[in-house]
Amino acid sequence: MSAVSPFAELLASLVRQRGVLGSMVVSESDGIVVDSNLQIGLRGPAVAALAASLYRKARLSAEAAGFGECAFLQLEAERGRVCAVGRNDLVLVAVAEPRANVGLIRVEMLRAVGAFG
Amino acid sequence: MSVAVVEGWVEEPLRQFVEDARVLLALLLQPSGQVLAQHGFSRSVDVMSACALAAAIHASSAELGRQLDGRPFAVLHHAGRSRQIFLAPVQTTRGALVCLAVFDAVTSLGLVQLYFAELQARLAKAAAAAAPDAKGPVLAGNFEFELNRNLAVLFGRG
Repeated sequence: MSAVSPFAELLASLVRQRGVLGSMVVSESDGIVVDSNLQIGLRGPAVAALAASLYRKARLSAEAAGFGECAFLQLEAERGRVCAVGRNDLVLVAVAEPRANVGLIRVEMLRAVGAFG
Repeated sequence: MSVAVVEGWVEEPLRQFVEDARVLLALLLQPSGQVLAQHGFSRSVDVMSACALAAAIHASSAELGRQLDGRPFAVLHHAGRSRQIFLAPVQTTRGALVCLAVFDAVTSLGLVQLYFAELQARLAKAAAAAAPDAKGPVLAGNFEFELNRNLAVLFGRG
């Protein structure tokens, strides 16, 4: 039995992007971390729970407005940003510094979310 | 968010928890089953039943933890089809408490865990600031009297 999760490689490739402080796969309905690759000091469970809730509300809002699926969610804050994409009750969350290249992160996340089935 | 309490120092921490975590029902009780505060219940008999069951589940899981792991299991989460329960102990200077929360898909286990950690911190702070407990521990002899008194206070009959 392997101890490495099926998400380890995609999480590692995401944190290799410049300015990315951490990445997590989170259960959308539970807000619980499935797997993560985080810098020390990042409050993973708290970010995961709140980001999953945010993503879920964004997805439901997009559906209610008749806009279809929520493709990519980005929250810009004073000292950083949180990005999220989801599929099949899993949300891929990236936490990044303001200097991070969101375009590259977005491409990487949309590619990676394919692994969620 | 309406929260009914027997002891005032638990009111603000529990009210904040209910508001933040968006739980449907919440109970704060002593491990013996004595209720201290509630949110969301409309009948005292339901509070009494929930307290008795929560205290029993907490005692059972704590003992199971001692047998298996050498120390009590702390947090218990049980997911139903549409509702879930979260049961966890809180340590304060005024003694141990147990928190029972019932929630649905409006919130999530992660959010409940997150705000429960804040509830623990707020209760610890409030307990330290509150006046000493003049009543002393509830003993088996006066358990029922105290329970009925607390339920009467919670449901406006005190």
